[in-house]
Amino acid sequence: MSVEIKILKEFTSNQLVLVCGLPGTAYIGKLSVDYLIQQLKAELVGEVYSKYFPPFVVIREDGLVELLRNELHQFKDESGRTIVFLAGNAQAFSPEGQYEIADAVLDWAINNGVQRVYSVAAYITERPFEAPNVFCTTTTLALLEEAKAHGAHLLDNGVIGGENGIITGLAKKKNKEAVCLLAETHGYQAPTGEYVIDPRAAKAALKVLTSMLNLKVDMEPMEKQVVQMDEAIAKLVEIERRIREEMAGSGKSKKPAYVT
Amino acid sequence: MEKETWIERCGDAELIEPIAVVGSPGLKSIGKLVMDSLITKTDATKIADLYSIHMPSIYETKPSYAADPTLLGTGGVIIESGEADFPKVQFYACSNPSLIITKGYHANFEGQYEVAIKVLDFLAENHVKRIIVAAGYGSKDKKICCAATSKELVAEMKEKYSIDIGYKGPFMGFSGLVFGLSKLKSMEALCLFAGTEPMENDLEFPDKEASDRALDTLNKILGITK
Repeated sequence: MSVEIKILKEFTSNQLVLVCGLPGTAYIGKLSVDYLIQQLKAELVGEVYSKYFPPFVVIREDGLVELLRNELHQFKDESGRTIVFLAGNAQAFSPEGQYEIADAVLDWAINNGVQRVYSVAAYITERPFEAPNVFCTTTTLALLEEAKAHGAHLLDNGVIGGENGIITGLAKKKNKEAVCLLAETHGYQAPTGEYVIDPRAAKAALKVLTSMLNLKVDMEPMEKQVVQMDEAIAKLVEIERRIREEMAGSGKSKKPAYVT
Repeated sequence: MEKETWIERCGDAELIEPIAVVGSPGLKSIGKLVMDSLITKTDATKIADLYSIHMPSIYETKPSYAADPTLLGTGGVIIESGEADFPKVQFYACSNPSLIITKGYHANFEGQYEVAIKVLDFLAENHVKRIIVAAGYGSKDKKICCAATSKELVAEMKEKYSIDIGYKGPFMGFSGLVFGLSKLKSMEALCLFAGTEPMENDLEFPDKEASDRALDTLNKILGITK
């Protein structure tokens, strides 16, 4: 089992669009796509399993065991267009695994007539900002102009790590239109080294994404998440500041315990 | 090598709809201890060994089940009772009750899925439909809780044996993956977790008392009275 795509029910599509948002820096892709799945009540139609996911399972609160996996959720809009969201609780760890999984999902989408691939990822910056910008890279100039018209800026240089980036690159190799939207984030990390979710960046990415997809989505729940996360980050920053102060203070008062 | 993971049969047993019981040297070695006790108690005989180039004889990770992509371990042989052999997963069988007892071994980061899938393929070939995993979970409560592949099985455990759910979080290593992947292979699986207090400096240090509690519960489920 390098990669196994398990389709749960008969799947038919019309003008298929694939939207990828897997967990990565600040969980911007995952937050954005999970939010759309929830708001649009997109239906789970497929599961992606792979030996390249980290080797552990998760026991859920209800006592059921869950493998790490990616999921395909389907939404049919009023015009009859099919949007499939690629979401999940993990990404492959290695580049080999990331290529294999992205390739398998993309081939599945191509076999089902995919017209365009969107992905959402993070753009880490130290630049102070009021509202995060959304950058983009596209496979065609026409798509770049389209993304810019919806509020995205061209990404001149940079790296998009992981499956959200690889799927864009593979789409180009397979002559499919693709755009990757990258929302600015400071990529704030908790003291444990884990990235803290950044709903503000996800909200910015969603603004461009929903505009490009012509989707109407209630953003109020996301606004609440932004406020809650701002408060949580402010607390974390304050705790870190106090720890730094205490460490600096204790250093001053201590006599050196060694001689050189 | 031609094959990365392979099985060598070394015995036969007449088994009718066997249940597979699975354990490995995880937290406080509870799974391994339960399998050792069960093999002795049922006079089970060895039917097969599973080998894999992804099984280190010396782990670089501690505990052994915490797979790390940068610490793949060292290959080699393990000498037991004067005999050298590669690290292996061992399958034992007994006919009353009809069981395949699986003594697991943790592969490294690259091989954990492959080994678990091969184990499940072997169990499926031997007509296993239900798997029971024994493992430990970090808790001050000296109790047994369960997890399963279906809500129905969770309900069955509560109704028949008064065993409730109680652990949530990651389940690493051989037994976790066999447990999780069983559903993909159309088998139902149940895990019995025995509460045990982890020792920070040696997470695999054996907890006989916790493994005895898991074994007692397992015996009730399997109807073993001797």
